Amino acid sequence: MKANRREFFKGIGASAMATAAFAGRPGFFSAHAADTSGYKALVCVFLFGGLDNYDLLVPYDTTSYGEFQAARPSLLSQYGSSRARSSLLALSPLTSSALGGRQVALPPEMPQLKSLFDAGNAAFVANVGPLIEPITLTQFQNGSARVPARLFSHNDQQTTWKASAPEGAQFGWAGLFADAVLAAGANGSSPQFTAITVDEAGPFLTGRQTAPYRISEAGAPEVRVFEELAMSSTPKSAEFSSMLRSNLGASQFVGTHVLEQDMALKVSNGLSTNDTFSNARASISPLSTAFGEGGLSAQLKAVAETISIRSQLSATRQVFFVGLGGFDTHSAQAFSLPPLLTELDSAIGAFQAAMAELGVVNDVTLFTASDFGRTLSVNGDGTDHGWGGNHIVVGGSVMGGDIYGSVAPPVLGNSLDTGAGRVIPSLAVEQYASQLGSWFGLTSSELATALPNLRNFDQNTPRFI
Amino acid sequence: MRVHLKCYQALLLAMSVSILSACEGGGGNPVSDTPQPDSSEPPAAPVQPPVSPPPPAGVGDGAFATPQSTSRFLTQATFGPAPLEVSTLTGTSASQWFVNELSKTASLHVPQMEAYRSLFADPREDFPVIEPDVASYIFWKNTIDGNDQLRQRMAFALSQIFVISNQSDNILSDYAEGMAYYQDVLIQNALGNYRDLIEDVTYAPAMGFYLTYIGNQKADATIGRRPDENYAREILQLFSVGLVQLQPNGEPVLGADGQPVEIYDNSDITGLAKVFTGLDLVGIDRSVTPTLLNALADTAELERNFLMPMAVFESRHSPLAKDFLNCSIAAGTSTAQSIDLALDCIIAHPNVGPFVSRQLIQRFTTSDPSPNYVQRVAAAFDAGQFSLPDGTVVGDGRKGDLSATVAAILFDAEARGASSLTNTQFGKVREPLLRFTHWARAFDADATRPELGSTLYDLSGPTRLSQHPYRPRSVFNFYRPGYVAPGTTSGSLGMTVPELQIVNASTVTGYLNFLSFFTLDQKVNRPITELEGDVRSRLGKLSFTQSELLQSFTPDYTDEIAIANNASALVEHLDDLLAYDTLSAETKADIVAVLNAAPLQDPSSTSELKERVGLAIFMVMTSPDYLVQR
Repeated sequence: MKANRREFFKGIGASAMATAAFAGRPGFFSAHAADTSGYKALVCVFLFGGLDNYDLLVPYDTTSYGEFQAARPSLLSQYGSSRARSSLLALSPLTSSALGGRQVALPPEMPQLKSLFDAGNAAFVANVGPLIEPITLTQFQNGSARVPARLFSHNDQQTTWKASAPEGAQFGWAGLFADAVLAAGANGSSPQFTAITVDEAGPFLTGRQTAPYRISEAGAPEVRVFEELAMSSTPKSAEFSSMLRSNLGASQFVGTHVLEQDMALKVSNGLSTNDTFSNARASISPLSTAFGEGGLSAQLKAVAETISIRSQLSATRQVFFVGLGGFDTHSAQAFSLPPLLTELDSAIGAFQAAMAELGVVNDVTLFTASDFGRTLSVNGDGTDHGWGGNHIVVGGSVMGGDIYGSVAPPVLGNSLDTGAGRVIPSLAVEQYASQLGSWFGLTSSELATALPNLRNFDQNTPRFI
Repeated sequence: MRVHLKCYQALLLAMSVSILSACEGGGGNPVSDTPQPDSSEPPAAPVQPPVSPPPPAGVGDGAFATPQSTSRFLTQATFGPAPLEVSTLTGTSASQWFVNELSKTASLHVPQMEAYRSLFADPREDFPVIEPDVASYIFWKNTIDGNDQLRQRMAFALSQIFVISNQSDNILSDYAEGMAYYQDVLIQNALGNYRDLIEDVTYAPAMGFYLTYIGNQKADATIGRRPDENYAREILQLFSVGLVQLQPNGEPVLGADGQPVEIYDNSDITGLAKVFTGLDLVGIDRSVTPTLLNALADTAELERNFLMPMAVFESRHSPLAKDFLNCSIAAGTSTAQSIDLALDCIIAHPNVGPFVSRQLIQRFTTSDPSPNYVQRVAAAFDAGQFSLPDGTVVGDGRKGDLSATVAAILFDAEARGASSLTNTQFGKVREPLLRFTHWARAFDADATRPELGSTLYDLSGPTRLSQHPYRPRSVFNFYRPGYVAPGTTSGSLGMTVPELQIVNASTVTGYLNFLSFFTLDQKVNRPITELEGDVRSRLGKLSFTQSELLQSFTPDYTDEIAIANNASALVEHLDDLLAYDTLSAETKADIVAVLNAAPLQDPSSTSELKERVGLAIFMVMTSPDYLVQR
């Protein structure tokens, strides 16, 4: 299936992109309810702090590389040889429309991603960011088109990525995707395992019906007090243990205080969901895929393990959230960013291998998100908050080996540059999300519900999955 | 710009009806340019309940009238009421207590950090093993045993606004001096003035490191360098004015489009970023060692310079004009003067009072304060003065007085009135760390050597509490002041409840396990060698005895054991002690039933009674009634 699509792409060439784009438009599917057949999962890897877009897709052809050096001389010299042109992993995408005649490369810290790209299992979506409607630099400067509120602010742009509005937003698009598939009958009687997070997901996984379930890298923690009491000299009856469990679960709580009710519900739901989840996890067969050190690897391993027990959890559609922090590289970027890229590469590589081991390569799609890209210009030894950024999509259903969208040129003062190389996104987050949602099974009207600004863009969405 | 407020209007927001106006603190004219909400907008939030007028003289004098009211006040103002303190203070004047707190000697970090350091024969070699944790040891000492409770509580609240963190392996975890000096800045200014505080914070090397302006330089076009914008952005967004224009009551001003009005854009940030150039660690020579990390590695003595403000390196400071927030600093102004003028400009902004006041109210009394409560506290912040119930005036009259601000928070009619005890939306989810300090103070648990409590070494993970002292995940703290919890009743009412951001299936169990370990005194059930191993691995060559280890955080349940034969009496006692009589009858009955389901085999056995007490405390402190401070 994957190879076929790749062949199809090679055959039709770049000129047919427009047709492909139309195929991915909302409306292409005419069903009235989400498709919930088979199993599908979306896995969001959130790169907290704002990934430097220029350090993921590094300008590579000699002209672009020279321009990049000219824009960031002090920073590139601090990287030493790792950003020497000869160290970079040049990408040869199937089509070249995203590059405007330029070439880009991955940094040397990302060999696994390079392999996945070459094998057609990974793609990049370039210059994605929050937008309300298409906007040009002139419109930005004279204020004649709407822009997202609180641009360049971490928490607000994180929330806008997740929920199309700044901090305070209640519903995220993954949560609304989950609502749609639940309404269409996905996951039977176990809706609580539809949206699972191993990190701070904010509103991303919250829908009107969907609430995220938080797990840890090791699954669900066990309540220890029963074991602690069992160590005492006085034996306890089964009736006592059952009463204590019920007490801790606040199941008999009758108070009227709003916050007490909220706490009681969170405790009660949390403990019972943990019990169910732990029971299902007891049947996990250990993965033979080895995950590396580091928090993201541990989180993605927990996701892989959860996917491995999808039938025990009665799950046919799931959305997951994991995160990696440290990308706010205002300072010492050359020192701190490469290890993060290594960790990201290693974690994605292991996760994809685990999906292959579980036989779900075509059923699981991983994608990145981040607060924003960063400035092209340098503040001494780091970069500041930008806007559009470059992103990674991985999975067997991804039309891999290609770069979508439009890579911003590494030149200050380019036609998208709002200042210091903070570029206006070429593709809205909601366009990016719509492709993922469409693959997940949502209808066009369900996508429109989850992505309120999508209608402003839908003519231009390139199809990458 | 709005004028300085001496008098304010309370607005019934959703209905756009002014229901009340009142003047306080020397009179003045009602402000006429308070923005009116667009009355064509449908009500976005539930109508606030009618608000009490500002407290007349005398309201709040009853704060210490009964053991329950005393305990409630101390729950809001300290790290938890201790029984002796409650009995001593009941019947005395809360105003006087407040005045006494202002003059208490501050418990500081630096001397205690130095004392820890000196415990090692070779500090340079051996101190690093505890450096990431020493600030939290001192936190436990100060909050559990410190006499300056109000100051410490305020400093902790401020540490959640002016956030730095030693979470990851960074200079703040590697060099304890940075965190110690920084926390002392917060502690020493906690009951002082916000303008002084923000200046001391700005010069503190730890903040310089955390928000990356230590060593920040002026622009150099030849190499494409411009000043780092990190601190400029966060000092505005998080430490002073926020992002959008606020009414005096903390509600956003709405523009013609019905949206909040943003008060600055990126040009303000780049303008202000120029101000924070030229500061660097005392004694560093960037021409020799360009990075801070290398400089510290090369010259060990430099770490001691985290104990003082950063120095000015004038040649690295931007000589350009600096424009931001409608303020302008002329070209050629020096570093120190630029910072001075910039901070004056920021603090003069009318947002500061409501922006800071609302967050401080959330840390002490209630998560979703009424606009009127915010407005009254902001007025005290702006006026720099507050009259205590006994007539004593606190504050020196300068905008930003924090003693006046916290007095306004604690003595407000909404915080003190009996009606707030029955109001189903007043109060806050207790912060996990405050639950623990509360337990330790209530039962006199021994915190003299907190480094021996291995269970406390890192509470920041989701299977623990998601809250560790001075260790939030980012500058956005453990939770956000504007957090509205999805899928909850409070969320459907539009209530901001920050602490709910760290309540999830993982932390719910994490808290249960954390708490039962302490309340049931589980360390006695573990082999001593195992306990020793846990501690040894984190303390290196620090010496301790087995008896100190066993004594650490051991509670004194003497009073409770004396009545534990009677489950009902025990639970009533704990309700008074821990929850000032706010547990519901149903909750108490449920706890009593569980206790009685494990009948005592030998009613004279201290170990049985102690376990019953620990279990009862565990159930009380995990009940929704307790978890919400009303």
